[in-house]
Amino acid sequence: MKSLFIALITFLMVSCGSNEPKPINLNTDMCDFCKMTIANGKFGAELITQKGRYYKFDDVSCMVQFAKSSEVPAKAFFVNDYLKENELVAAEKCYYLKGGTINSPMHGNLAAFFTPKDQEEFQKKLNADPMTWKQIYDSYK
Amino acid sequence: MKNLICILFSLLISISNAKTIQVGSSSPVKKIKQALQLAVDGDTIIVNSGVYKEGNILINKKIIFLGKNFPILDGQNKFEVVSINADNVVVKGFKIINSGYASLEDPCGIKVYDRSFVKIENNVLDNNFFGIYLQNSKNCLIKNNKITAYGKQEQLIGNGIHCWKSDNLQIIANKISGHRDGIYFEFVTQSIIWRNISNKNIRYGLHFMFSNDDAYITNVFKNNGAGVAVMFTKNVKMYNNYFEENWGDSAYGLLLKEIADSYIFNNKFARNTSGIYMEGTSRIKVEKNVFESNGWGMKIQASCMDNEVVNNNYLKNTFDISTNGSLVLNTFNSNYWDKYEGYDLDKNGIGDVPYHPLSLFAVLTEKTPSSMLLYRSFMITLLDKSEKVLPSITPDNFIDNAPLMKSLPL
Repeated sequence: MKSLFIALITFLMVSCGSNEPKPINLNTDMCDFCKMTIANGKFGAELITQKGRYYKFDDVSCMVQFAKSSEVPAKAFFVNDYLKENELVAAEKCYYLKGGTINSPMHGNLAAFFTPKDQEEFQKKLNADPMTWKQIYDSYK
Repeated sequence: MKNLICILFSLLISISNAKTIQVGSSSPVKKIKQALQLAVDGDTIIVNSGVYKEGNILINKKIIFLGKNFPILDGQNKFEVVSINADNVVVKGFKIINSGYASLEDPCGIKVYDRSFVKIENNVLDNNFFGIYLQNSKNCLIKNNKITAYGKQEQLIGNGIHCWKSDNLQIIANKISGHRDGIYFEFVTQSIIWRNISNKNIRYGLHFMFSNDDAYITNVFKNNGAGVAVMFTKNVKMYNNYFEENWGDSAYGLLLKEIADSYIFNNKFARNTSGIYMEGTSRIKVEKNVFESNGWGMKIQASCMDNEVVNNNYLKNTFDISTNGSLVLNTFNSNYWDKYEGYDLDKNGIGDVPYHPLSLFAVLTEKTPSSMLLYRSFMITLLDKSEKVLPSITPDNFIDNAPLMKSLPL
């Protein structure tokens, strides 16, 4: 009985401090930085703060600017995979392209790819420059 | 005299040089693509009624392209239907259906590539990914088109009329529904949007981004996902529009974000969650508008400054005004507030006591939205009354010094 109780408590605590992204509801959720309704599941982004609050964004640039201006530090960042429909993956694991013919809602013009192979393939197609998550994060003040 | 006739005659010949090509099942030319090959600059192609499945139709000559009894151009869900790659093209009287659907490219019903003086008139566009797309175009006219799509919530779909990096456009009397944004302007200048009806679009009825010096006049925006958004823009004129029935958590009649030097005149905001939401706006004049039966008439965030709110009617709103800070850098003057309970002893039509449009409860719900539960409870009404007399929580300079006793005839 006691072990069950402990298991329950740990389960509850673990589920509280979840690091899983919440899915973005397209055309319903609002970007917490630019106030636009999120309509494109290729450029969306989401962050979780240290306190466990979720914020959703329509563009990676909105998320980074929000994180830089926010008082509560972020715990985890997620971005939409450019090749999927509205699937969030960890931001630091992605490979990015910027500029070229990429046209994102708020002109961050950043596309995230889950594998370096996709990044390489689309670099030519989109005529864009490769970037890493750290470069992106540092490029906004 | 003889000379003159000669000149006239030669003129006539040179004009009549432009030929007309008929396309249809009973004509020698059966296919549109064949006609386009035969045509030279200045010719007219008349397409008779029928269904034409010819993939992508590329117009790269200065021609007049007319449809008789709405011939159907079918993109079979694979192609961009009509691409215009020449100046002075006229496209009139077609029914354009089923453009391709792709999330990486943007296939359209009609797309104009870097051109000027193109006219797109009297067409019916049905079930396209993007309706009409103007890219880097100047002096174009889009008139009397009916643009319908069937976008669903969780689905990617394009905009009805999408204009990008363009100048001097006229968007007149179109009907748009079911797209992502009814009309979308990005880097578009010196343009006018007049007499359009934009209903039931998934996101915005009209969406402005980085588009300066434009005007939208006498349009109806009804029942869109989140209303109308004007963002990151300067010098926009908004006259005589209807913003109606935009309901939802993040829905507004009109969302203003980072805009300056604009004029909002004689519009009607009815039955929206919030009539106007303003953030980071400055030097805007809001004059002679009607705010009726909204949840919030106006939400003015503390980041707004030097805005003037003059001569408006506020009728039957749950809250007339709400704000999120105590700093007030905007002026309110001579509005009619149906919640005003003052008197007018000198009978000059102006209330003798100033009106505080910001109710205590509006401030409370802004801070803790869940306190909405207590709305219309006895205590809250009591607190609201005492707050009206002695402002403590609400900023005391949030004030209309000359509230009107009668509503303006707008």
